[in-house]
Amino acid sequence: MKIPALLLLGSLFFLSCNNKKESNSINVNKGTKGDSSATAKAKNSVNAYAPVDVSPMDISYFPADYPILKMSDSITTPPLARVVYSRPHLQGRNLFQDVLKYGEPWRLGANEATELDLYQDATIQGKKIKAGRYILYCVPQQDTWTIALNSNIDSWGLHPDVSKDIARFTIPVSQAGSSFEFFTMIFQQTKTGADLLMAWGDIETRLPLSF
Amino acid sequence: MKKAIGLLSFFQLFFICLLAQTTLPPVDKSPMDMCYYPANYPVQKINDKITEPLAARVIYSRPQKAGRPIFGGLVKYGEVWRMGANEATEIEFYKNVRLGGKKINKGRYTLYAIVNENTWTLIVNKETDTWGSFKYDAKKDVARQEVTVQKTNAPIESLAMAFEKSATGFNLIIAWDNIKASVPFTF
Repeated sequence: MKIPALLLLGSLFFLSCNNKKESNSINVNKGTKGDSSATAKAKNSVNAYAPVDVSPMDISYFPADYPILKMSDSITTPPLARVVYSRPHLQGRNLFQDVLKYGEPWRLGANEATELDLYQDATIQGKKIKAGRYILYCVPQQDTWTIALNSNIDSWGLHPDVSKDIARFTIPVSQAGSSFEFFTMIFQQTKTGADLLMAWGDIETRLPLSF
Repeated sequence: MKKAIGLLSFFQLFFICLLAQTTLPPVDKSPMDMCYYPANYPVQKINDKITEPLAARVIYSRPQKAGRPIFGGLVKYGEVWRMGANEATEIEFYKNVRLGGKKINKGRYTLYAIVNENTWTLIVNKETDTWGSFKYDAKKDVARQEVTVQKTNAPIESLAMAFEKSATGFNLIIAWDNIKASVPFTF
């Protein structure tokens, strides 16, 4: 009795660890069973007011977790920056075979254009960027991504209007330490400000901001 | 009994296995979403089909019913509810509006609600970039408006918000489970 139970246990454990992608999506995707697109569809069918997006939106602040710090009285100064973006997921696709193309603009997200809010003036690659709201998109290449700051705010991410670019920055791309199922943007503190870290699939890239 | 222990340790191991993977920033259980007035403004904008000037948008997280009774259950009657999850629900007005006779200057605010069985009180508060309603401070209220709620035809799994046009401005619709509230903003 003990051995079959252990065997079962062992094989399930093996499955659960090997099925990294599935268990990840179960873990992160509302804790429900089934694949994410199926759950999204099921939920869409019952929500008459606003269907739930397949690529959920998220927000990242700098300082990181600013709202929690504020709530717990750990910080009294205003935030410096935040991004509001949607998080597409690979769902078995290969990032640069199935999703993105080298040399073609990508909206760094999904749905509504990805938004960068600067609460203070910042400097990026020596260029002063005034406090305010911008949208971001990128033009990916194999070794570098060009990140565009654009003034066409409150727009949808497709077909960025290049004539409204405020600035463009070329930054190197590197291999990520782990694989990212969902597109991820966070701020990581540096000596002079923060890197806006962008990661998806097995690559990551950093846009350094100084404040 | 042994089976139960086996299952228990399986779940423990499974959980440890999941924990081992959480070095990546996880996707939120209650995904965030955004809605504009006019509705679908971003799509209108890229198609050069803007119907009227941008007036408002909400950024909120969308908890799910997940089989739970929501109003009077998960959301207690008479208490301040964050009307979302995670980061506090944000409303931004792109021009001055009025709610219940009170003028609200354009800018960013946080939304809360006090839910009762037949009425909700919507609260517009000026403390932004915060988390939930844990530090709600009524002194920072900008406007409050009580509305009578309606029953929905079918239960709504995920908290939903949407703007709709009204004769004098726009309404913010908030719907979850079997309840729908409509909050009238005027220009």
